[in-house]
Amino acid sequence: MRPCRHGVRIEHVTARDTHRTIDAVWKMESGRVIAGLTRMVRDVGLAEEFAQDALVAALEQWPTAGVPDNPGAWLMAIAKRRAIDHLRRVERHDRTHEVIARDLATAPETSDIDAAIEELDDEVGDDLLRLIFISCHPVLPTTARVALTLRLLGGLTTDEIARAFLAAEPTVAQRIVRAKRTLAEREIPFEVPAVPELAERLASVLEVIYLIFNEGYSATAGEDWMRPTLCLEALRLGRILAELAPREPEVHGLVALMEIQASRSAARTGPAGEPIPLLEQNRGRWDQLLIRRGFAALLRAKEIGRPAGPYVLQAAIAVTHAQAHTAAETDWPQIVRLYEGLVRLLPTPVVRLNHGVAVAMASGPLAGLTIVDTLVDEPSLRQYHPLPSVRGDLLRQLGRHAEAAAEFERAAELTRNQPERTLLLERAATARATGVILGDAVDGFLHRSDVDAETIRSYRQTLRRLSEAIGGRVPLDSVTPSRVAAACEEMWGDAAARTWNRHRSAIRSFHAWAVAQDWPVADLAASLDRRRPSDERTSTIDRDTVEALWAQAGSRERALWRLLYESAARAEIALSLDIENLDLANNRGRVGEQWVRWESGTAALLPGLIRGRTRGPLFLADRRPAPARTPPPDDVCPTTGRRRLSYERAEYLFKRATGYTLRQLRDARLAHLGADGWPAGDLMRLSGHASPRRLGRYTRSR
Amino acid sequence: MRYLLMTNGDTQPADETMYVEMGKFVAELSQQGVLLATGGLESTGYTVTSRDGEITITDGPFAEAKEAIAGFALIDVRSKEEAVELSRRFWKIAGNGSGRIQRVIGPEDF
Repeated sequence: MRPCRHGVRIEHVTARDTHRTIDAVWKMESGRVIAGLTRMVRDVGLAEEFAQDALVAALEQWPTAGVPDNPGAWLMAIAKRRAIDHLRRVERHDRTHEVIARDLATAPETSDIDAAIEELDDEVGDDLLRLIFISCHPVLPTTARVALTLRLLGGLTTDEIARAFLAAEPTVAQRIVRAKRTLAEREIPFEVPAVPELAERLASVLEVIYLIFNEGYSATAGEDWMRPTLCLEALRLGRILAELAPREPEVHGLVALMEIQASRSAARTGPAGEPIPLLEQNRGRWDQLLIRRGFAALLRAKEIGRPAGPYVLQAAIAVTHAQAHTAAETDWPQIVRLYEGLVRLLPTPVVRLNHGVAVAMASGPLAGLTIVDTLVDEPSLRQYHPLPSVRGDLLRQLGRHAEAAAEFERAAELTRNQPERTLLLERAATARATGVILGDAVDGFLHRSDVDAETIRSYRQTLRRLSEAIGGRVPLDSVTPSRVAAACEEMWGDAAARTWNRHRSAIRSFHAWAVAQDWPVADLAASLDRRRPSDERTSTIDRDTVEALWAQAGSRERALWRLLYESAARAEIALSLDIENLDLANNRGRVGEQWVRWESGTAALLPGLIRGRTRGPLFLADRRPAPARTPPPDDVCPTTGRRRLSYERAEYLFKRATGYTLRQLRDARLAHLGADGWPAGDLMRLSGHASPRRLGRYTRSR
Repeated sequence: MRYLLMTNGDTQPADETMYVEMGKFVAELSQQGVLLATGGLESTGYTVTSRDGEITITDGPFAEAKEAIAGFALIDVRSKEEAVELSRRFWKIAGNGSGRIQRVIGPEDF
């Protein structure tokens, strides 16, 4: 039992192994077989059919008879026999094949494999080249050229091609059938094109090969293994073509380009399959063998001595990268020169974009961005994720982080590669987090949709002004609470408490939102105190009440209050007046650069207050300072030894006497004058207010 | 994928016919972009041993010819079967001898 079973299994495995071997041989030989047959029957579709017949024969015979010594010649001999049978039948029915049939009549009618070997050896090169040209004929749509080339020259099955291109098998099958029909109907000759059209036809061939290569190169880990296989197919096609057309520099250029790109295969993705940009790759993992092959191919291209074409230039760029042992050693000026040449030959948006990147590396991000920005409206790049990705990178280097983040997000939206999307979103988040600027943050806050329009309008008044005052380009994380407080004090320090609090709550709301965005931001409203509305009843001190004040209290208080009212000066300023700086004749006194002006009421009271003193503080405290708390000499009266009346004390006394604050007294004066029709300019001059805006409430109250 | 094809020292010496045939075979492999590198090895060499940081270099080993690698070819193929098929074709030309076929680990393995 056991030996029998064992034997059966071995036989089974052997049969499967033979099938695999046949598949391998087919992939190696089918191109040459089909090429040879096409020369005979002048129809790639027919030629492929006969070659397939030979494959069927191999599948029938080889598992038992074994793989022949020269399987290619075996396949060729069988297929040729079928072709000759076919042509004989056609000759009998169709006079149009007369010429071909006569040719065949003179050809050796033999199944001798040695003859087939001879023939393969002698002719196969030219036939292969013809087959490449016809498979890549411009009369066919690009997708058909690609499918047909892989099918006829790579020996790939329809299923393999479909998997490699992530397409449905019937679609690919259709393409191939139609392509073969088109070639037959249009009677495309099986030949190497002559010089007038050679360049264009060769370009079409190179385009197909490079397209196959890129399809494989852009595949990511975890995808069907057929996709990376495309790189090898393209490289093989390129290497074969280079042998068949050794005088064409662009062929060697393409081979060099592919060899060098393939040399980076191991280095271009990270452990999670995420793409690693060229400049960040571990160059130790570049395949030196392929790099040397790339160098050699480029050298062959240059030795031909014709002006460099697009592939040679691209290869030269790839070689320049490969020559740099580290990214920092890259010869960017040389790469820029090569790109300038490439842009002249091939001014496609993608080439111009890469030129921009090279310029940025050679001459800085701004120079690069200038070039890249010319591509923003390019329709063909609208869905091209490297454009926003590159722009994002340049903007980031220029410190325009918010714009950079938006570009990275757009690139992430456009890419179909999942690990790359993840990477781009990370870069966007980093740009947003480290680099958000105040102006953009405010814009984002004001565009939120979860708050009603009225509130947003109110927030906008506050935050736009705050952003202007601090600077919209300032990074959000560098805005400190004290900076916010200073700006608010400057803008709204004199505003009503209710207004102040409204601004304050807008800033608090903005801060909470920024925190929710995960942005690094200080507690912006930390230094903004909430103001109690009871602190202000500005215009509630009416004229009668003010008049009544003059009858109250002692001479010092009367003089101070009257001076404050008449001058509308801030209490701190008035209390800083020194006797030596008074200009009594002109009803004024100087504090620093600022003049405090009063009227006759104050003028009448001042002499009694000064009473023989010539220097020192005008308004003095009631007591001498305690010995331990010696005030600065400027705040001490040289005559009496008493110190300057403090703001706190003055405020306390006024409040106790009247229930109002000194500030309200000053405000009352401005309100009264405003009511009397004083223009804002005069009020400003009087009060020392820096801007008319802060006087709005007085002039409006008229 | 890449395979390293190795021949051992017991391979029969080439006569003129074999030399020409082998030349054609190698040229064909190059033309098809399959052959990446090829070379022969001297029969003698050195053995390097590293033990706990100590590196020793000695002559040898003086292995039997059939165990020593005499030549190699690095090929770029689509499958194991292609590598085997090419090896088969090689031995059809080379005649008697022995060798090994081993896959070179590449980016596709990571």
